[in-house]
Amino acid sequence: MSILSSMLKKKQKKRQNDNYRQKQDPQKPEDLLILSDYKDNMARIKGEFGNSTDIVFREFKFGRKKGICVNVDGLTNQELISEFFMESLSVSDRDDNLQDSFQLLADKVVNLGNIQLITDWNQVYDALLSGNTLFFLDGYNHAINVETKGWEQRSITEPSTQLAIRGPKDAFTETLRTNTALIRRRIKSPNLWLESMKIGKVSQTDIGIMYLKGIANEKIVLEVKERLKGIDIDSIQGSGYVEQLIEDQAWTTFPTTYHSERPDVVTSHILEGRIALIVDGTPFVVTAPAIFIQFFQAPDDYYSRFDISTGIRILRILSFFIAVIGPAVYIAATTFHQEMIPTTMAIAIAAQRENVPFPAFVEALVMEILFEILREAGLRLPRAVGQAVSIVGALVIGQAAVQAGFVSPVMVIVVSITAIANFSTPSFAMAIAARLIRFILMGLATVLGFYGIMLGLMFMAIHLCSLRSFGIPYMMPLAPFNPRNQQDVFVRFPVWAMKNRPTFISKGNMVRTGENQKPGPPKQEENNQTSNGES
Amino acid sequence: MEKAKIKASQMFILVVLFEMGSAILVGLGVSAKQDAWISMLLGLAGGLLFFLVYYQLYKYYPTLPFTSYVQRIAGKWMGRLLGLLYIIYFIYLSTRVLRDFGELLTTTIYFNTPLIVINSLMMVIIIYAIHKGIEVIVRVGELFFGVIYLLAIVGFLLIIFSGLIHPEFLLPVLEQGWRPVFITFIRETIIFPFGEMVVFTMLLPYLNDHKKVKFACMGGMILAGINVTITCAINVATLGVDLFERSNFPLLTTIGKIQLANFIERLDVLFMLYLMIGCFFKISVFFYAAVVGATDLFQFKNHQKLSFPIGLIILLASITIASNYAEHIQEGLKVVPVYVQWPFQIIIPTLLLIIAFFRNRKKKTTSTP
Amino acid sequence: MMKKIFVIAILFLLLMPMLSACWNQKELTDLAFVMALGVDKGEHKKFDVTFQIVIPGNVSSGQNGEGQGLPIAVYTSSGDTLTEAARKATKKISRRLYYAHTNLIAVSEDIAKDGILDLMDALDRDPEFRTTTELVVTRNTPAEVLVSALANLDKLPVNKITKEIKSTEMMLGENMSINIDEFLAGLVSNGKEPILNGFIVKGDVEKASESEDLQHTKAVAILAADGLAVFKKGRLTGWIDHEKARGVIWILDKVKSTSVNVDWNGRKDAITMALLRSKTKVSVEIKNGKPIIHIVIKDEGWISEANTVVDLMSPSEIEKIDRLVEEEIKQQILASVKAAQKMKSDIFGFGERIHRKDPKLWKKLKRNWHDHFADLEVNVKVDSYIRREGIRTKPFWSDFNK
Repeated sequence: MSILSSMLKKKQKKRQNDNYRQKQDPQKPEDLLILSDYKDNMARIKGEFGNSTDIVFREFKFGRKKGICVNVDGLTNQELISEFFMESLSVSDRDDNLQDSFQLLADKVVNLGNIQLITDWNQVYDALLSGNTLFFLDGYNHAINVETKGWEQRSITEPSTQLAIRGPKDAFTETLRTNTALIRRRIKSPNLWLESMKIGKVSQTDIGIMYLKGIANEKIVLEVKERLKGIDIDSIQGSGYVEQLIEDQAWTTFPTTYHSERPDVVTSHILEGRIALIVDGTPFVVTAPAIFIQFFQAPDDYYSRFDISTGIRILRILSFFIAVIGPAVYIAATTFHQEMIPTTMAIAIAAQRENVPFPAFVEALVMEILFEILREAGLRLPRAVGQAVSIVGALVIGQAAVQAGFVSPVMVIVVSITAIANFSTPSFAMAIAARLIRFILMGLATVLGFYGIMLGLMFMAIHLCSLRSFGIPYMMPLAPFNPRNQQDVFVRFPVWAMKNRPTFISKGNMVRTGENQKPGPPKQEENNQTSNGES
Repeated sequence: MEKAKIKASQMFILVVLFEMGSAILVGLGVSAKQDAWISMLLGLAGGLLFFLVYYQLYKYYPTLPFTSYVQRIAGKWMGRLLGLLYIIYFIYLSTRVLRDFGELLTTTIYFNTPLIVINSLMMVIIIYAIHKGIEVIVRVGELFFGVIYLLAIVGFLLIIFSGLIHPEFLLPVLEQGWRPVFITFIRETIIFPFGEMVVFTMLLPYLNDHKKVKFACMGGMILAGINVTITCAINVATLGVDLFERSNFPLLTTIGKIQLANFIERLDVLFMLYLMIGCFFKISVFFYAAVVGATDLFQFKNHQKLSFPIGLIILLASITIASNYAEHIQEGLKVVPVYVQWPFQIIIPTLLLIIAFFRNRKKKTTSTP
Repeated sequence: MMKKIFVIAILFLLLMPMLSACWNQKELTDLAFVMALGVDKGEHKKFDVTFQIVIPGNVSSGQNGEGQGLPIAVYTSSGDTLTEAARKATKKISRRLYYAHTNLIAVSEDIAKDGILDLMDALDRDPEFRTTTELVVTRNTPAEVLVSALANLDKLPVNKITKEIKSTEMMLGENMSINIDEFLAGLVSNGKEPILNGFIVKGDVEKASESEDLQHTKAVAILAADGLAVFKKGRLTGWIDHEKARGVIWILDKVKSTSVNVDWNGRKDAITMALLRSKTKVSVEIKNGKPIIHIVIKDEGWISEANTVVDLMSPSEIEKIDRLVEEEIKQQILASVKAAQKMKSDIFGFGERIHRKDPKLWKKLKRNWHDHFADLEVNVKVDSYIRREGIRTKPFWSDFNK
C-alpha cells in the first residue's frame, strides 16, 4: 500500500515540475518597456518571433522621424492599412518638435478605429496576435495600437447539427465578433451585456460571456466568471474544453451545460436568464445552467403550433427511454420473464432462437457493438458515400448475420429500433449518455432480469436528482415539482399562454407576455356583417 | 442534521410513498376477512390520532429531531438511552421491510436466486441514495410519484376491464360483527402502516414551512390510507375471501388474473416495479432516520460516514432475523406488534408528550414574572 | 483518497458474486413450453401425467420455411404427486418444463371421481402456473388421448380447445370457461359446488394423434366439448348435457347468445329465435324462515328462422312468439334446476347468495345444505323480446302453399 502511494506521489511531483518549466520565466521589469529606438524594438520583435515570415514590418517617414508599422499578415486587413494609414502618412510631412510628432501621428494620421497607446511588451504581443497594427516612432517609448482585424472566415451557413424545418438557417461561425453580432441582432436591448476574457496560457483564446442584465441570476453570473478565471490550462481549442473545465460534476455521463450552433436557440436561452459563453475558434456556444428537460427541446418546437410540438416532444422522451432500455428489456423478457410474453409471440421467438448459438446477452452485445462501429465508420466516410454505406452496411450485415444463423431476426429489429430511437434525441450529448447507459442496463438485465433493469433505472434517477448545474437542481421543474414551471416540460403551452419565465433560473422580471394574448377573430358587431362576409 | 430544506409538497409525497410502500403488498387485515377494508379505515383514523401526538412534540421543539429533544425531555442519560433504542428500532423496521421485499421476489419470480444477492443490490442503491442526502431522496420521490400513480391507475383500469371485480364478495358486511374488525385494528392495522409515522419525528425539522406540517403529513396519510383501503377492497372483490386469506401476496394474485385482449397477461412484473419503488422509499426513510439519529446522538459531523456501516448492518440483519418465511410472518404478526411497535409508536411518545407538556407549563409559569 | 479506493474495491468485491452465476436465467432454447397437461389414473403410481410440448420451429410461419412437421410432441410420466411426475419427466425430455404458458389441464373421469383434489394444491401454489388455466374433464377417453390429439384448424391443439370453449360459451352456452381459480373457489365454498367442462374425442380415437388424421378434409378424430361435469364434495357425481347444461350456464349468467326453438301451428320447432343478449338476476327471498330463489331472465333477440306460415310483421304475432319462447326457456331452466337438485349439488351458488342475504339463516342451513338444496323452491320468470326478424318480412312459406 505505502509503496503504491509513494510511487503515485513521486509521479505527481514530477508533473508539477514540468508544468512550472513551461510557464514563462518571470520577466524583469525593465524588459517590459518599449525602447525608444525603433530599431531595437524591431529587433526584439523579430527575435521573439524567431524571424517568423508572416510578421510584416513597414518603415515609414513621418516628418523627420522614422518609424515602423508592424502587423501580422493574415490577421489584419491589409487594405485598411494601405488606404488609411499609408496614404495619410504620405500626405503629412511637417517638421515639428518631439512631443507633437507622436501626438500628431496619433491624432491626425491614424484616423481610424480603436486607438490605444501602449507601453508594455505583453500588450505588444497581445495586440499583434489579435490582428492589430502597431506603430513605433523613433524616440518614443510608446506605441500606437490600432484595431485592424480582418481575416478569412467561413461565411454564415446552415447549421450542421441542429436542423430546424421552419426557422432561421444561420449558424455561428468561428469568429467571436461575428457570433456576438448574431446575438446582438436578435436582442436589441442595452441590457445585453458582454464581458470578455482570455483563457489558455498559450492559446490566449478570447471568450465572451453574454447575459441579460436584470433577468439573469447574478449569483450564477459570478459563479461562471469565477470558474472561468480559475481555468489554468495551456490551450482552449473548442467550447468542449471550457465545458469540461467548469462543469459541476465530473463523474457523470449527463451533460450539465448545453451547447448549440444556432443563434436563435442561444438567444432564447439568454432571454430565459441563462448565460452564453462564446469561445473564439468554434461555432458552438455554451449556455449554462442546463437542466435535463432542455435536452429534449428542439428549436422546431417553438415555431410550430403547440399541439404538434407537444405530441412530438412526448415522442422524443419516449424514444429516449426506448433507446436506453430497449435491448435490456428484450434480454430480460426472453431470459427471465418468459411468462410476460404472449404465448404465440413466445413460440415465435423461441423458433427463431433455436438456431442461434449464443445466449441472448452475447447476441445483443455483439449486435449493439456492431451498430456502434457502423455509426462511427459512417462519420468518417466522405459525405457522398457515407450515408449509403452506413445504411446499406447495417441492412446487409444484419441480413447476412441472420441468414448465417448468428443472430435472430428479433434481435436485429430490437437493435435497429434502439438505434433509430437514439437518433431522435435532439441533443448529441444526451444521446451519447443514452448509448452508454444502454450497455450498463443490458449487463444488469442479463444478471437479474427486470429487477436489474429497475435497479439500474433507480440508480440513474437518484444520480440525476443529485446533479446540480451551477447550483440549480438538474431535474427542475420535475423534481422539485413546481407547478408554475410546467409550461415547457412535457407539454408545450401555446406561446400566448407562457406568461412567465422559468422561476428557477431568473429571479427578477418574471413576466414575458402581456394579458389577453390568446388569439381569436375580432368580436362581431351587430347588424354590420353577415356570416358570409357580405356587408 | 443536514443543511437541507424540504417543501411541504415534497413531504406530502414522501409520506404517501412511505405509507403505501409495503402495505399493499402483504395481506393486511386478513383476519377480518371481507371486512378488512373497514379495519383499514379504522387504522387510518387511529394513525391520524397518534400523529397528533408526534405533531405536538414537534411543536415544542420545531428544529430538533426526536433524538435531540428526547434528551431534553427525559434527561440526558435516559434520553440518550431512548434515542439509541429508537435508532435500533428504526434499523429493525427497515430490516423487516427489506426482508419482506426479498422474500417476495424470491418466492415469485427469482426463486433460484439467493436472498442475499437481491437484498444486497437493493441496499447498494439505497446506500447511494442516503449518501446523497434527504433532498435527493425527496426529489426521486417526486419523480416516481407520477410513475406510481400511473401504474396504479393503469392497473386499476385493467382490472376493471378484465371483468374481475365482483362487489358481492364484499358482502355480507360485518358478518361476524365488530369484534374481529376491532381486534385486527388493534393488532395490525393501526401499527402497520400508520403507526410507523413515528419515524417522521426525525424528519419534520427539515420542513421549511412550519405551518404546513399538519397538512402535508396528515393529508399524505389520508391519501395513502384511502389508496390502501381501495386496494384491499379490490383484492377481496376479485379474489373472494377464501383466496384472499390463503394468498401470501393478495395484490400479486389479483394482478396475475388480468387477462385482456389475449395478449395482456401475467403482468406480475408491473407489480414488482411498483414494489421496488415502494420498498425503496420505506427502507430509505427508516434507514435515513437511523443515520440521522446516530449522527445526532454521537455527534458526527456529517451523516455520510455512517451510511455505509448502517447499511451493511441492515443487509446482514435482513438475512438473519428469520430462518424462513413463516417465522418472519409470525414475528411480524404476533411478537413485534405487542412488544415492540406499541411501546415505541404509542406508549413512549405519549409519555414524552405528557412530560413535555408539564415542562413547558413550568417554563411558562417561571418565565412570567 | 486511498480510503475511497479501498471502499470502492470492497464494493466491487461484494458485487462479484452477482456476475458469477445467473441463477434464474433460462434461455428460450432451454425451455420446453408445456401447452397442456393431461392427468390419468396411474397403473403403478397414483397419476399418469401427459405433457404436450410445443415444437416452436414447426409452429411459427418461420423465416426458414422448414418442413411443416407436427407442431407438438407428447411425453408421459407417472408419479404419486404432480411434482414427482413432473420431475420424473425430465428423464425423457431434453429441456426444462416451463408451465407459464400452460393453458389447459385435462383430467380423466376416473381422476375426477377420486383424486382431483390431490392435484389442486400443486397448481395453486406454484407461481409459474397461470391461474387462468382451463380445466376440463375427459369423458370416456383418457386424458392422454385428448392431450395428444391434433387439430386441423388451429396449429396448436390446445388453442383449439381453449378457443372452442370460449366461442361455444358465446354462441351456444352449453359450456363455459372455467379455470383453476374458479374451480377452487367452488370447491372451498360451502354454498356452491364447482362444475367443469367435459370433452370427448369423437371418431377414431386411435388415429387422433397421427398426422394422417390431418390429411383428410374430414378429420378422422375430432375433439369436442360435451356437457358439464357436476361435483359434490370434491368428487364427480354426474353429468348434465345439452339443454339442461345450457340452463345451468344460463342461471350462472354466462349465456350471451344462443338459439331457442318454439312450436307453431302444430309444427314442431317451427320458429327459431336467436338470442343476442341475456341477463340473469338471481335473488333470494326469505319467507317463514325458508329461502325462496327467484330467477329473472331478460333477453333480446331476433328471429333467425321461420319455417311455417306466420305473419312476422304483426306485433301481436311477435308477442305470441315472445310468450312461447319465454315458456320454453322457463321449462329448460326448471329442468336444469331439477337435474342439479337430483344430484344434491348446488352448482348455482344459491347457498352463497343466501349467505350474503341473511348470514344468520345461512348458519343454520350450512351444515346440511345439500339436502336443503334438493328441496329448495325456485321460481323462474323470463322476459323475452324479439326485436327484429332479419331482412325478410313473411317467410316464403306463406306464399308457398298458395
